[in-house]
Amino acid sequence: MSVIECKGLTKAFGGTKALDNFSCKIEGNTITGLIGRNGAGKTTLLKIIAGYLQQTTGEITVFSERPFNDLTVSANVIFVHDQLNLPTALNLKEILDVMASFYQNWDRELAQRLFDYFSLHPMQYYNGLSKGMKSTFNMIVGLAARTPLTLFDEPTTGMDAAVRKDFYRALLKDYIAYPRTIILSSHHLDEIEDLLEDILLMQRGQMLLHMSVTDLKEWAVGLEGRTVAVKEWTKNREVIFSKNGGLDQTYVVVRNDFTAAELQKVKLAGIKTLPVSSSDLCVYLTSKTKGGIDDVFNKG
Amino acid sequence: MSLTKVSLAEVVKKQYIYKLHAYTQVFLSLIILQVIAILFSLNGSGMMGSGGGMIDLEVHYYSADIVVAFTMLWGFITAILITTKAYRNDDFILVTNRISSNLSNVLFLLTASLIGGITANLSSFLLKIIISIFKSDFYIDSPADIVTVMDLFVGSGATVLYIFLFSALGYLVGILVQLNRVFAVVLPVVFVGGLILDGMRGDAGVIAAVFKFFFAESSFTLFLIKGICTLVLLFLAAFGLSNRMEVKP
Amino acid sequence: MALNLDGAKPIYLQISEWLENEILNGHFVSDQKIYSQYQLADIFNINPATAAKGLNILAEEQILYKKRGLGMFVTSNAKEMIVSKRKNQTLKRLVQEIVIEAERLKVSKDELIEMINITIMRRAGE
Repeated sequence: MSVIECKGLTKAFGGTKALDNFSCKIEGNTITGLIGRNGAGKTTLLKIIAGYLQQTTGEITVFSERPFNDLTVSANVIFVHDQLNLPTALNLKEILDVMASFYQNWDRELAQRLFDYFSLHPMQYYNGLSKGMKSTFNMIVGLAARTPLTLFDEPTTGMDAAVRKDFYRALLKDYIAYPRTIILSSHHLDEIEDLLEDILLMQRGQMLLHMSVTDLKEWAVGLEGRTVAVKEWTKNREVIFSKNGGLDQTYVVVRNDFTAAELQKVKLAGIKTLPVSSSDLCVYLTSKTKGGIDDVFNKG
Repeated sequence: MSLTKVSLAEVVKKQYIYKLHAYTQVFLSLIILQVIAILFSLNGSGMMGSGGGMIDLEVHYYSADIVVAFTMLWGFITAILITTKAYRNDDFILVTNRISSNLSNVLFLLTASLIGGITANLSSFLLKIIISIFKSDFYIDSPADIVTVMDLFVGSGATVLYIFLFSALGYLVGILVQLNRVFAVVLPVVFVGGLILDGMRGDAGVIAAVFKFFFAESSFTLFLIKGICTLVLLFLAAFGLSNRMEVKP
Repeated sequence: MALNLDGAKPIYLQISEWLENEILNGHFVSDQKIYSQYQLADIFNINPATAAKGLNILAEEQILYKKRGLGMFVTSNAKEMIVSKRKNQTLKRLVQEIVIEAERLKVSKDELIEMINITIMRRAGE
């Protein structure tokens, strides 16, 4: 069953379209990575899913309901982001108590254990926390709420590497124990890709790719070898990225539609076939030029 | 994972309890304001003196009117305060929709008005005690003030209604300002401008008429009906305007 | 547990190879229940769906068999199947890569065979 269905979703702010005819389906009990450059529309999408914003045109259903102003959606979705508004008059312990009273699946024990593990102090106030500590507290809220749909928008902002690692581990362990639908937006695809089942790549308010992480790894292939030989194999193919390296050497990323026999021939032609990492591929796909930043410096 | 079902009433109740707890600063400001108002009241609201020969007579009038006026203003400002983003967005990390958020706000404002109205009314007793002990040689209760329990109820009820009316107005003003910042300038200008215009022309304008509509009503029942109808209209307008409002940082 | 997460080989293939090694090492015997996708996900810190893909490869190759609601179990001749598969596929592929590299380096056929012989003798001597 699809938990989220979007059809032709458009959201305009003034003249600019943050979402432009966006369509997708998110299946239940998956962890989906929402990837894209800054301004691709990730946060806008999450806000519409959470019922914070209303789309300009198009349709969206979450648990078969329209999310804007819907109590069922609100009760079953938690949206954690780095500008979270938490009551300023309550200390951390009291905030957790309030959360527990609102979210029926709230796991008090998990919240407490994480709270202690990350050395948060119950009498502290949210506004007094550092950026990284705020993110850590948000993460505890997002995990302990255990809502059927959990949205994390850039959850690791300000966290140090060790805490990020702990967070990914905690997320995975809780997901294994209580499978649910999780969407995770992040700039660190290389850090999260092993956690993910699906990747949703966005660009300029539209969906560029939506597929499983394992498929994405085989979706493209890098060919490296002598320029003439590589050109021969890539001339009729969609080039995603190309770079000249060294003397007469070229590295080209193309769609991986080679047959096994073709790949064999490629290898025999002295061309190395290299897998393309998901995060590199996402960068290549969303960059405006085929050569990336190098093109800026290559005049003519 | 199975879906959680919630009812509007249940959510409103939880939000109300949460708000009583989270907005305690509002009540702290009430206490401070009322203490200040009582101190102001000690100056007396009127004075009359006469003397001759051996006798020197000074009569001071005291009333808790300033406390009530301050509390009304407090209700107005509190209502504006809870429509600001910092408060409104707090609801959205919890389970909410715009209706439940508005309803729990109304319940909170009603509670605040009840507490504010009753304490403002009771402050007149405190004032009497302070004056009779510290300020005067002779203390005379004015005949109108001789209080029966019934009077106290009616008086408190009226005060509560006034404060609630002011907070309903504040709530609508707050929502308008949230909708468009322009109102933050337009509304005060229209209000103060209206007062000045009335003063210049020397006759009672719209604002004075509005005040007269409520304050000059001698029948308590009629006053109650007028007040409640106005409340409903104010809140309905605020609900309608805020129901499409988006959550923005 | 060491997976080469940045490596060239997809993780689900690494999972299935790791499971094959566990069977070859005798950690799992015939008709024994093997790790579930969730246990694998926990062990290797990966998404359960990826782990399931690794298990499914072995199920398709009939190295594992499914019992509804109980999980996956090791087939009776799993060991032999793995050994023959690796001979036919993995070893052939590795040999091919060695030959290509040798061509690139202009290593003659005899030289290459000599290198293999030396390696075999060294390991025998260890």
